[in-house]
Amino acid sequence: MFIVCLLFSAMQATASDRCTDEVFLRRAYLTVTGALPTPNQCVEFLDESNPNKREVLIDQLLESELGLKYMQMRWGDILRIKSEFPSNLWPNGVQAYNRWIYEQLLHNVPYDKMVRGLLLSSGSNFRAPAANFYRGFQNKSAKNFYANINLLFLGNRNCTDNGHICFSQIKFKSTKEWKEEIVYLDIHKKVPYQDIELEDYTIIKLRADSDWREGYVSWLTSSKNRRFAEVMVNRMWYWVFGRGIVHEPDDWSASNKPSDPELLGELTDYFLEHNFDMRALMKKILLSEQFNAKMAPEGGYVPQRLPAEVIVDAIASVTGVWSTYSSRVPEPFTFYPPKTRATHLGDATVSSSELELFGKVSRDVSLESQRNNSITSRQLLYLMNSSVLERRIRKSPVLQRIYVNSGSLEQIADKITLLTLSRRATAAEKELYKEYMEQTELSLMDVAVDIMWMQINSNEFLYNH
Amino acid sequence: MRRIYLTLTLLLAICFAADAQRAKSVILVYLDGGPAQTDTFDPKPEMGRNYHGSYSGVCKTNVEGIEIGEKLPLLASMADKYTLIRSLTHGSNAHETGHYAMITGDTSGGAVVYPSFGAVISYMKRDSYKGILPSYISVTSANSRFNEGGFLGNEYKSFDTGGKPEAEEYEVEGVVNRSVDRKRMDQRVALLDKFENKPMAKQTLDSLRDVNMEFIWGDTREIFNLSTEPDSVRARYGKSRLGQSCLVARRLVEAGVPFVNVRTTGWDTHKKHFQKMNTMLPDLDRALSALLADLDARGLLDSTIVLCGGEFGRSPKVLWEAPWNGGRAHFGAAFSYLVAGGGFHGGKVVGKSDKTGEKVAERPVSPCDLIGTVYLLMGIDPYGTLPHVSEGELPILPSLLDEKKSNGLLYEIIDIKAPRHEK
Repeated sequence: MFIVCLLFSAMQATASDRCTDEVFLRRAYLTVTGALPTPNQCVEFLDESNPNKREVLIDQLLESELGLKYMQMRWGDILRIKSEFPSNLWPNGVQAYNRWIYEQLLHNVPYDKMVRGLLLSSGSNFRAPAANFYRGFQNKSAKNFYANINLLFLGNRNCTDNGHICFSQIKFKSTKEWKEEIVYLDIHKKVPYQDIELEDYTIIKLRADSDWREGYVSWLTSSKNRRFAEVMVNRMWYWVFGRGIVHEPDDWSASNKPSDPELLGELTDYFLEHNFDMRALMKKILLSEQFNAKMAPEGGYVPQRLPAEVIVDAIASVTGVWSTYSSRVPEPFTFYPPKTRATHLGDATVSSSELELFGKVSRDVSLESQRNNSITSRQLLYLMNSSVLERRIRKSPVLQRIYVNSGSLEQIADKITLLTLSRRATAAEKELYKEYMEQTELSLMDVAVDIMWMQINSNEFLYNH
Repeated sequence: MRRIYLTLTLLLAICFAADAQRAKSVILVYLDGGPAQTDTFDPKPEMGRNYHGSYSGVCKTNVEGIEIGEKLPLLASMADKYTLIRSLTHGSNAHETGHYAMITGDTSGGAVVYPSFGAVISYMKRDSYKGILPSYISVTSANSRFNEGGFLGNEYKSFDTGGKPEAEEYEVEGVVNRSVDRKRMDQRVALLDKFENKPMAKQTLDSLRDVNMEFIWGDTREIFNLSTEPDSVRARYGKSRLGQSCLVARRLVEAGVPFVNVRTTGWDTHKKHFQKMNTMLPDLDRALSALLADLDARGLLDSTIVLCGGEFGRSPKVLWEAPWNGGRAHFGAAFSYLVAGGGFHGGKVVGKSDKTGEKVAERPVSPCDLIGTVYLLMGIDPYGTLPHVSEGELPILPSLLDEKKSNGLLYEIIDIKAPRHEK
């Protein structure tokens, strides 16, 4: 709460409190795409003279493949997309579901429409991908569906009304195909004697021989239901800053007040005026003073440790040595193509020791708090002294190339810094490296290895700042 | 009245804390993939070739009336040290749900994902365990088919050593890194110190790094250095991955680590079952018998629980037909576990499978009964609770409170009682 108040005060700050272009570049890439900018992208952006270049970059990133895939991962986290326990969607279902989400994002389907698509889904888990929404629960009861819908779209952790009856027609049947399952509605189910009254006293009428979800979902996704839009606005804010205006972002109880109601109201108005346009909302947040503020743990952009997948990918892209991923379900096993990014795995069942170490989301529940980005001594231990990481740096084809193509320590330092920290090395840093080489009497290549090691271990690398 | 009740509870709790804890550590030798109970701890030689396959014989053990598989002669010579549970059952034939059952003691189907029992023990010992090594270590990696930390979160997940214990030098991730010596590390850290002049969480990171330097270069490094063991000892465990992993486990337990998971893979033998067992069983026999004997000789067996088994067993009936051509399928209806040390009696058998081995005949044991008993021996109340981020306090083993899911703690092979009994 404290931090968000400070962020708010930063909003009124002057232009001199804006972050530099090199900081913005790295921040924007990491936030929108979950990937570091390449050295070329850095140089291009830094040398660009267009005064609107930040906006141009944001547009470009939001529409990029990396941007869409990273957004897909965020949705996968809260929709709990996973082959095995506890979602048990199975690899075919996971693939279809991910593709569906990707297409929603690609075509920038409005939020209300996307949610309608999810909640009114039925059919085969392989052929009607959104139906996986209902398959991905161990407890396939109407009450559990309803509790999760409330959590996801209203931030309500504790529903007390009878809305779950709207989801009581949902049934499942298997087909002859391995792991295929049909989600269908038993529309001949007897209509309850009484109408459904929601917590806000809205009455949902259920009619015979029809989909009872309709009435509820229309109420939920209506622009008159302000909470529905607010929750998404706040979630987007959380995705960008690591902290919601309402925090936790999925706990909208009466006692958990927004830290800045005005900001929330303004963004929600914007979102509604733009007909639930998620990309426009994200862009608005990325252009805000808060996102463009200088980094400061107090009174500016608050640094966030990079998420597990992003750290692992960043190390891979810096060293040029990528992890290989495979899925142990089902036989035959699936082997992901070389250089697959951890942010693109799409399946929480697929993991690695590194991803587990840095806290990859296990997608057991739909709470945002599942992602733990605090830094631990064990993570630092890995960064400091892992033999796997050490070999990656020593055998790094990227570092070899830099070494071969550079004439001096200064050039090497510049290139490594551009690659790792998305900026050029400062004069003081170059001096520091020179001193280091003199004092340690290490070879130039060994110094290059140590510079890369040191930068990977630095705060500047580990945090989005 | 209320005060008397409170005093009594307090008194009970104190007695429990003082008396109950026999065990200080657990070593789980986890046979990932599912070992065949009929070829290991519950042989059925009288059932004919369609069941016993290549193994028509048995090993008589040093305990009258107990026989085990013919490929386990070393374990047979020490049956007084362990008890066999021949009636474990959870009914699941899928790996992920089998793992979940055997590693958490929970049954799948609920809305909550439970932590592994290693994580629970790590959580419960968070204040009392003072060692610098992590309290839950996997040699060489934990099972990642579900979220190991469960709702307790990342902090209590296993520390995976990685590396190859059987290699010339065992490189433990983050601890032992052959290519960097102390001098080079000091140089690098000094460089980093000069480079970091930014306010971002620096102090926290610095102090965490200091702890790590102690961890990397202090006594802990030696714990993973197997070359200090006499060659005869290393040979006794077997120079395989499993053998040397068990030796590492003994050294970790000596250092006080509360939970060590030795996970060995390759037990999912749908095909070429007997060919594989011909090498895997002697490997297991050597490693596990050496571990038990070594712990015993060092006076550690009384305080160390050793468990051995997988996520389920394998079908007692051999699948001779194509495409299996002599394999065994997943089998969760009836299978076996070996338990030893830490307060478990030795020389006994709990439960019985039927003639073919396909059903439990006597005294079914659910995963929660086994794990609950381990908790009890470790001084953890199996009827206690764990904190959940949004659900409040949850029972540590919900299945134990459900008569349909639990068949009772293993009181027949321990000497203590839980402070609270079944509700």
